[in-house]
Amino acid sequence: MTGAAVTPRHHPSEATLAQYVAGTLRPGFDVVVAAHLSTCAHCRAEAARLEAVGAAMLDEQAPVDMSADALDRALARIETPEAEVPPAPTLAEVLTPRRRRWLAPGVWTAKVDTPRYASDRVYLLGVGPGISTADHGHGGLEFTQVISGALQDGDIVYRAGDFIEHDADHEHQPVVWGDEPCVCLFATQGRLKPKGWLGRLVFALADV
Amino acid sequence: MFVSEGAPERLSTERPETVLLRRIALRDRAAFAELFSLVAPKVKAYLIRLGTEAAGAEELTQDVLLTVWRKADQFDPAKAGPLTWIFVIARNRRIDALRRERSTVTYGFEPPEQADEDTPSAEAQLSGTEREIRVREALKLLPPDQQEVVRRSFFDEQPHSEIAEALNLPLGTVKSRLRLAFAKLRDRLEDL
Repeated sequence: MTGAAVTPRHHPSEATLAQYVAGTLRPGFDVVVAAHLSTCAHCRAEAARLEAVGAAMLDEQAPVDMSADALDRALARIETPEAEVPPAPTLAEVLTPRRRRWLAPGVWTAKVDTPRYASDRVYLLGVGPGISTADHGHGGLEFTQVISGALQDGDIVYRAGDFIEHDADHEHQPVVWGDEPCVCLFATQGRLKPKGWLGRLVFALADV
Repeated sequence: MFVSEGAPERLSTERPETVLLRRIALRDRAAFAELFSLVAPKVKAYLIRLGTEAAGAEELTQDVLLTVWRKADQFDPAKAGPLTWIFVIARNRRIDALRRERSTVTYGFEPPEQADEDTPSAEAQLSGTEREIRVREALKLLPPDQQEVVRRSFFDEQPHSEIAEALNLPLGTVKSRLRLAFAKLRDRLEDL
Protein backbone atom coordinates (compact mmCIF):
# COMPACT_ATOMS: atom_id res chain seq x y z
CA MET A 1 0.00 0.00 0.00
CA THR A 2 2.84 2.40 0.73
CA GLY A 3 5.52 1.12 -1.64
CA ALA A 4 6.37 3.22 -4.65
CA ALA A 5 9.39 2.39 -6.74
CA VAL A 6 9.90 6.00 -7.74
CA THR A 7 11.94 8.77 -6.19
CA PRO A 8 9.55 11.32 -4.67
CA ARG A 9 10.05 14.89 -5.89
CA HIS A 10 7.75 16.73 -3.51
CA HIS A 11 8.56 16.50 0.19
CA PRO A 12 7.26 17.75 3.52
CA SER A 13 8.75 21.10 4.58
CA GLU A 14 11.66 21.01 7.02
CA ALA A 15 9.44 22.50 9.71
CA THR A 16 6.91 19.70 9.18
CA LEU A 17 9.64 17.06 9.36
CA ALA A 18 10.95 18.69 12.55
CA GLN A 19 7.47 18.54 14.04
CA TYR A 20 7.12 14.92 13.02
CA VAL A 21 10.45 14.08 14.64
CA ALA A 22 9.48 16.04 17.77
CA GLY A 23 6.08 14.32 17.92
CA THR A 24 4.21 17.63 17.86
CA LEU A 25 2.26 17.27 14.62
CA ARG A 26 -1.51 17.16 14.90
CA PRO A 27 -2.53 13.53 15.51
CA GLY A 28 -3.39 11.87 12.22
CA PHE A 29 -1.20 14.22 10.20
CA ASP A 30 1.80 12.25 11.43
CA VAL A 31 0.52 9.16 9.61
CA VAL A 32 0.68 11.03 6.29
CA VAL A 33 4.28 12.07 6.97
CA ALA A 34 5.10 8.49 8.02
CA ALA A 35 3.65 7.24 4.73
CA HIS A 36 5.93 9.64 2.89
CA LEU A 37 8.99 8.58 4.89
CA SER A 38 8.26 4.97 4.02
CA THR A 39 8.86 5.83 0.34
CA CYS A 40 11.53 8.52 0.66
CA ALA A 41 15.15 7.78 1.65
CA HIS A 42 15.96 11.49 1.34
CA CYS A 43 13.46 12.44 4.04
CA ARG A 44 14.44 9.50 6.23
CA ALA A 45 18.02 10.79 6.28
CA GLU A 46 16.72 14.29 7.03
CA ALA A 47 14.58 12.94 9.87
CA ALA A 48 17.62 11.18 11.34
CA ARG A 49 19.52 14.49 11.33
CA LEU A 50 16.57 16.22 12.97
CA GLU A 51 16.55 13.59 15.72
CA ALA A 52 20.03 14.80 16.63
CA VAL A 53 18.60 18.35 16.73
CA GLY A 54 15.93 16.99 19.08
CA ALA A 55 18.69 15.59 21.27
CA ALA A 56 20.19 19.09 21.46
CA MET A 57 16.78 20.44 22.53
CA LEU A 58 16.62 17.81 25.26
CA ASP A 59 20.17 18.48 26.38
CA GLU A 60 19.76 22.26 26.67
CA GLN A 61 16.82 22.10 29.07
CA ALA A 62 17.49 23.36 32.57
CA PRO A 63 17.01 20.21 34.72
CA VAL A 64 13.82 19.91 36.77
CA ASP A 65 14.25 17.83 39.94
CA MET A 66 12.54 14.47 40.10
CA SER A 67 10.70 13.67 43.36
CA ALA A 68 12.79 12.35 46.24
CA ASP A 69 11.75 8.71 45.85
CA ALA A 70 11.96 8.69 42.04
CA LEU A 71 15.17 6.69 41.78
CA ASP A 72 13.99 4.09 44.33
CA ARG A 73 10.77 3.68 42.38
CA ALA A 74 12.67 3.28 39.13
CA LEU A 75 15.01 0.71 40.66
CA ALA A 76 12.00 -1.24 41.95
CA ARG A 77 10.29 -1.06 38.57
CA ILE A 78 13.22 -2.47 36.63
CA GLU A 79 12.98 -5.63 38.78
CA THR A 80 9.38 -6.30 37.76
CA PRO A 81 8.99 -8.43 34.65
CA GLU A 82 7.84 -6.71 31.50
CA ALA A 83 4.14 -7.06 30.70
CA GLU A 84 3.26 -8.46 27.29
CA VAL A 85 2.25 -5.64 24.98
CA PRO A 86 0.42 -6.60 21.80
CA PRO A 87 2.41 -5.44 18.79
CA ALA A 88 1.21 -2.16 17.31
CA PRO A 89 -0.29 -2.43 13.82
CA THR A 90 2.18 -1.61 11.09
CA LEU A 91 1.82 1.43 8.86
CA ALA A 92 0.78 -0.87 5.99
CA GLU A 93 -2.01 -2.29 8.18
CA VAL A 94 -3.17 1.17 9.20
CA LEU A 95 -3.31 2.18 5.54
CA THR A 96 -5.14 -0.89 4.28
CA PRO A 97 -8.65 0.32 3.43
CA ARG A 98 -11.18 -1.67 5.41
CA ARG A 99 -14.57 -0.34 4.41
CA ARG A 100 -14.58 1.50 1.12
CA ARG A 101 -17.50 3.83 0.60
CA TRP A 102 -18.26 4.23 -3.06
CA LEU A 103 -19.39 7.76 -3.76
CA ALA A 104 -19.69 7.53 -7.53
CA PRO A 105 -18.42 5.12 -10.16
CA GLY A 106 -14.65 5.10 -9.74
CA VAL A 107 -14.62 7.18 -6.56
CA TRP A 108 -14.28 5.81 -3.03
CA THR A 109 -13.13 6.87 0.41
CA ALA A 110 -12.03 4.86 3.42
CA LYS A 111 -11.43 6.24 6.89
CA VAL A 112 -8.01 5.60 8.35
CA ASP A 113 -8.17 4.23 11.87
CA THR A 114 -5.78 6.52 13.72
CA PRO A 115 -6.15 9.05 16.54
CA ARG A 116 -7.14 12.50 15.37
CA TYR A 117 -8.96 15.54 16.64
CA ALA A 118 -12.71 15.14 16.24
CA SER A 119 -12.83 18.05 13.79
CA ASP A 120 -10.08 16.61 11.56
CA ARG A 121 -10.35 13.91 8.89
CA VAL A 122 -7.83 11.22 7.96
CA TYR A 123 -8.84 9.13 4.97
CA LEU A 124 -7.86 7.45 1.75
CA LEU A 125 -9.46 8.65 -1.46
CA GLY A 126 -9.42 6.64 -4.66
CA VAL A 127 -10.41 8.38 -7.88
CA GLY A 128 -10.60 6.83 -11.35
CA PRO A 129 -8.74 8.20 -14.38
CA GLY A 130 -10.02 11.43 -15.87
CA ILE A 131 -12.20 12.35 -12.91
CA SER A 132 -11.88 15.80 -11.42
CA THR A 133 -12.55 16.46 -7.75
CA ALA A 134 -14.85 19.28 -6.74
CA ASP A 135 -13.24 22.70 -6.51
CA HIS A 136 -12.65 23.30 -2.81
CA GLY A 137 -10.87 25.29 -0.15
CA HIS A 138 -9.64 24.22 3.28
CA GLY A 139 -10.56 25.04 6.84
CA GLY A 140 -6.90 24.65 7.79
CA LEU A 141 -3.90 22.47 7.17
CA GLU A 142 -4.06 19.65 4.62
CA PHE A 143 -1.41 16.97 4.06
CA THR A 144 -1.60 14.61 1.10
CA GLN A 145 0.57 11.64 0.21
CA VAL A 146 0.10 10.17 -3.26
CA ILE A 147 -0.02 6.40 -2.73
CA SER A 148 -0.52 5.34 -6.33
CA GLY A 149 -1.32 6.92 -9.67
CA ALA A 150 -0.87 10.66 -10.19
CA LEU A 151 -2.82 13.87 -9.88
CA GLN A 152 -2.50 17.29 -11.37
CA ASP A 153 -3.02 20.43 -9.33
CA GLY A 154 -2.52 23.65 -11.27
CA ASP A 155 0.69 23.21 -13.27
CA ILE A 156 2.16 20.48 -11.08
CA VAL A 157 1.76 16.73 -11.52
CA TYR A 158 2.17 14.83 -8.28
CA ARG A 159 3.11 11.17 -8.60
CA ALA A 160 3.20 8.19 -6.29
CA GLY A 161 5.48 8.97 -3.35
CA ASP A 162 4.95 12.75 -3.50
CA PHE A 163 3.83 14.77 -0.51
CA ILE A 164 1.67 17.90 -0.68
CA GLU A 165 1.24 20.43 2.11
CA HIS A 166 -1.42 23.12 1.93
CA ASP A 167 -2.76 25.59 4.45
CA ALA A 168 -6.04 27.42 4.88
CA ASP A 169 -5.57 30.00 2.14
CA HIS A 170 -5.25 27.44 -0.64
CA GLU A 171 -8.13 26.68 -3.03
CA HIS A 172 -7.79 24.08 -5.73
CA GLN A 173 -9.39 21.48 -7.94
CA PRO A 174 -7.00 18.56 -8.34
CA VAL A 175 -7.53 16.26 -11.35
CA VAL A 176 -6.45 12.66 -11.75
CA TRP A 177 -3.59 12.55 -14.23
CA GLY A 178 -2.86 9.69 -16.64
CA ASP A 179 -4.66 6.38 -17.22
CA GLU A 180 -4.41 4.93 -13.74
CA PRO A 181 -6.70 5.49 -10.80
CA CYS A 182 -5.13 7.71 -8.16
CA VAL A 183 -5.13 6.77 -4.48
CA CYS A 184 -4.13 9.42 -1.94
CA LEU A 185 -3.89 9.56 1.82
CA PHE A 186 -5.25 12.79 3.28
CA ALA A 187 -5.27 14.49 6.63
CA THR A 188 -7.37 17.63 6.72
CA GLN A 189 -7.94 20.10 9.52
CA GLY A 190 -11.62 20.97 9.72
CA ARG A 191 -14.01 20.23 6.89
CA LEU A 192 -13.20 20.84 3.26
CA LYS A 193 -15.07 23.80 1.85
CA PRO A 194 -16.54 22.78 -1.49
CA LYS A 195 -17.65 25.43 -3.94
CA GLY A 196 -21.02 24.82 -5.60
CA TRP A 197 -23.98 22.67 -4.59
CA LEU A 198 -22.77 19.43 -6.24
CA GLY A 199 -19.46 19.59 -4.42
CA ARG A 200 -21.28 20.21 -1.15
CA LEU A 201 -23.46 17.17 -1.73
CA VAL A 202 -20.56 14.87 -2.62
CA PHE A 203 -18.36 16.12 0.24
CA ALA A 204 -21.23 15.63 2.70
CA LEU A 205 -21.67 12.05 1.52
CA ALA A 206 -17.95 11.45 1.73
CA ASP A 207 -17.83 12.97 5.23
CA VAL A 208 -14.63 14.88 4.43
CA MET B 1 35.62 18.42 6.14
CA PHE B 2 39.09 17.37 5.06
CA VAL B 3 39.49 13.92 3.63
CA SER B 4 42.32 12.14 5.36
CA GLU B 5 44.03 8.86 4.74
CA GLY B 6 43.39 5.98 7.06
CA ALA B 7 41.22 6.05 10.14
CA PRO B 8 39.33 9.31 10.62
CA GLU B 9 40.36 11.36 13.58
CA ARG B 10 38.01 10.73 16.47
CA LEU B 11 36.96 13.28 18.97
CA SER B 12 38.06 11.91 22.30
CA THR B 13 34.89 13.06 24.01
CA GLU B 14 32.85 9.97 24.69
CA ARG B 15 29.78 11.13 26.51
CA PRO B 16 29.31 9.56 29.95
CA GLU B 17 25.82 8.47 28.84
CA THR B 18 27.33 6.21 26.19
CA VAL B 19 29.49 4.37 28.71
CA LEU B 20 26.56 4.09 31.12
CA LEU B 21 24.25 2.70 28.43
CA ARG B 22 26.81 0.01 27.59
CA ARG B 23 26.97 -0.98 31.25
CA ILE B 24 23.17 -0.89 31.56
CA ALA B 25 22.94 -3.30 28.62
CA LEU B 26 24.94 -5.70 30.87
CA ARG B 27 22.28 -5.19 33.60
CA ASP B 28 24.46 -2.91 35.76
CA ARG B 29 22.09 -1.33 38.29
CA ALA B 30 24.61 1.19 39.58
CA ALA B 31 25.05 2.48 36.03
CA PHE B 32 21.28 2.78 35.70
CA ALA B 33 21.11 4.81 38.92
CA GLU B 34 23.84 7.09 37.61
CA LEU B 35 22.17 7.57 34.22
CA PHE B 36 18.85 8.20 35.95
CA SER B 37 20.32 11.07 37.98
CA LEU B 38 22.03 12.46 34.90
CA VAL B 39 19.17 12.25 32.41
CA ALA B 40 15.81 12.04 34.20
CA PRO B 41 15.73 15.73 35.26
CA LYS B 42 16.40 16.78 31.65
CA VAL B 43 13.76 14.44 30.25
CA LYS B 44 11.29 15.78 32.81
CA ALA B 45 12.15 19.38 31.90
CA TYR B 46 11.80 18.59 28.20
CA LEU B 47 8.35 17.04 28.71
CA ILE B 48 7.22 20.03 30.77
CA ARG B 49 8.46 22.36 28.03
CA LEU B 50 6.22 20.40 25.65
CA GLY B 51 3.22 21.14 27.82
CA THR B 52 2.98 18.06 30.03
CA GLU B 53 2.02 19.04 33.59
CA ALA B 54 4.63 18.29 36.28
CA ALA B 55 3.10 15.13 37.79
CA GLY B 56 2.48 13.65 34.36
CA ALA B 57 6.01 14.55 33.27
CA GLU B 58 7.42 12.77 36.34
CA GLU B 59 5.47 9.58 35.52
CA LEU B 60 6.34 9.73 31.85
CA THR B 61 10.01 10.20 32.72
CA GLN B 62 9.80 7.04 34.83
CA ASP B 63 8.42 5.22 31.77
CA VAL B 64 11.16 6.62 29.56
CA LEU B 65 13.93 5.47 31.91
CA LEU B 66 12.30 2.05 32.31
CA THR B 67 12.30 1.73 28.52
CA VAL B 68 15.97 2.77 28.49
CA TRP B 69 16.72 -0.09 30.90
CA ARG B 70 14.79 -2.62 28.82
CA LYS B 71 16.12 -1.58 25.43
CA ALA B 72 19.70 -0.68 26.38
CA ASP B 73 21.08 -3.65 24.42
CA GLN B 74 19.62 -2.09 21.25
CA PHE B 75 21.60 1.13 21.68
CA ASP B 76 24.21 1.42 18.93
CA PRO B 77 26.49 4.44 19.35
CA ALA B 78 27.54 4.23 15.69
CA LYS B 79 23.94 4.91 14.61
CA ALA B 80 22.80 7.49 17.14
CA GLY B 81 24.31 9.42 19.99
CA PRO B 82 23.10 8.50 23.48
CA LEU B 83 20.96 11.61 23.82
CA THR B 84 19.45 11.10 20.37
CA TRP B 85 18.55 7.56 21.37
CA ILE B 86 16.98 8.74 24.64
CA PHE B 87 15.22 11.62 22.83
CA VAL B 88 13.56 9.14 20.45
CA ILE B 89 12.37 6.99 23.36
CA ALA B 90 10.99 10.06 25.17
CA ARG B 91 9.26 11.21 21.97
CA ASN B 92 7.66 7.81 21.44
CA ARG B 93 6.55 7.34 25.04
CA ARG B 94 5.00 10.80 25.02
CA ILE B 95 3.06 10.06 21.84
CA ASP B 96 1.86 6.74 23.27
CA ALA B 97 0.64 8.48 26.43
CA LEU B 98 -1.05 11.30 24.52
CA ARG B 99 -2.81 8.93 22.17
CA ARG B 100 -4.20 6.90 25.03
CA GLU B 101 -5.67 10.02 26.55
CA ARG B 102 -6.90 11.59 23.39
CA SER B 103 -8.64 8.78 21.64
CA THR B 104 -10.30 5.42 22.01
CA VAL B 105 -8.69 4.29 18.78
CA THR B 106 -5.47 2.37 19.25
CA TYR B 107 -2.58 4.40 17.96
CA GLY B 108 -1.50 2.07 15.25
CA PHE B 109 1.74 3.48 14.09
CA GLU B 110 5.14 3.61 15.70
CA PRO B 111 7.29 6.25 13.99
CA PRO B 112 10.50 4.83 12.59
CA GLU B 113 13.07 4.98 15.38
CA GLN B 114 15.98 5.62 13.11
CA ALA B 115 16.67 5.78 9.42
CA ASP B 116 18.75 2.65 9.50
CA GLU B 117 19.38 2.01 5.83
CA ASP B 118 20.94 3.91 2.96
CA THR B 119 23.68 4.94 5.34
CA PRO B 120 26.28 6.82 3.34
CA SER B 121 29.86 5.84 4.06
CA ALA B 122 30.78 9.30 5.37
CA GLU B 123 28.07 8.93 7.95
CA ALA B 124 29.50 5.64 9.19
CA GLN B 125 32.72 7.48 10.05
CA LEU B 126 30.99 9.87 12.39
CA SER B 127 29.83 8.37 15.64
CA GLY B 128 26.45 9.34 16.97
CA THR B 129 28.12 11.44 19.64
CA GLU B 130 30.17 13.39 17.12
CA ARG B 131 27.00 13.98 15.18
CA GLU B 132 25.33 15.38 18.31
CA ILE B 133 28.26 17.72 18.87
CA ARG B 134 28.14 18.96 15.27
CA VAL B 135 24.40 19.59 15.52
CA ARG B 136 24.79 21.59 18.72
CA GLU B 137 27.50 23.72 17.12
CA ALA B 138 25.42 24.26 13.99
CA LEU B 139 22.47 25.40 16.12
CA LYS B 140 24.63 27.85 18.04
CA LEU B 141 25.85 29.40 14.78
CA LEU B 142 22.32 30.34 13.71
CA PRO B 143 21.25 33.93 14.42
CA PRO B 144 19.05 34.06 17.55
CA ASP B 145 15.81 34.71 15.64
CA GLN B 146 16.43 31.61 13.52
CA GLN B 147 17.33 29.49 16.57
CA GLU B 148 14.03 30.59 18.03
CA VAL B 149 11.92 29.35 15.11
CA VAL B 150 13.80 26.03 14.98
CA ARG B 151 13.13 25.56 18.72
CA ARG B 152 9.48 26.39 18.29
CA SER B 153 9.17 23.78 15.53
CA PHE B 154 10.12 21.23 18.14
CA PHE B 155 7.84 22.50 20.89
CA ASP B 156 4.71 24.01 19.31
CA GLU B 157 1.87 22.15 17.66
CA GLN B 158 1.11 24.98 15.24
CA PRO B 159 4.51 26.62 14.94
CA HIS B 160 3.61 28.93 12.08
CA SER B 161 0.69 30.67 13.70
CA GLU B 162 2.14 30.48 17.23
CA ILE B 163 5.41 32.03 16.12
CA ALA B 164 3.55 34.69 14.16
CA GLU B 165 1.53 35.55 17.24
CA ALA B 166 4.37 35.38 19.78
CA LEU B 167 6.80 37.41 17.69
CA ASN B 168 4.13 39.63 16.15
CA LEU B 169 5.20 38.81 12.61
CA PRO B 170 3.17 38.20 9.46
CA LEU B 171 2.72 34.51 8.62
CA GLY B 172 4.69 34.89 5.38
CA THR B 173 7.71 36.24 7.28
CA VAL B 174 7.53 33.33 9.70
CA LYS B 175 7.45 30.84 6.85
CA SER B 176 10.46 32.34 5.10
CA ARG B 177 12.39 32.57 8.36
CA LEU B 178 11.69 28.91 9.04
CA ARG B 179 12.79 27.94 5.54
CA LEU B 180 15.98 29.98 5.89
CA ALA B 181 16.82 28.62 9.34
CA PHE B 182 16.35 25.00 8.34
CA ALA B 183 18.20 25.49 5.05
CA LYS B 184 21.21 26.87 6.93
CA LEU B 185 21.10 24.11 9.48
CA ARG B 186 20.86 21.60 6.72
CA ASP B 187 23.83 23.01 4.79
CA ARG B 188 25.98 22.67 7.86
CA LEU B 189 24.84 19.12 8.56
CA GLU B 190 24.66 17.83 4.99
CA ASP B 191 27.55 15.42 5.50
CA LEU B 192 26.15 13.95 8.70
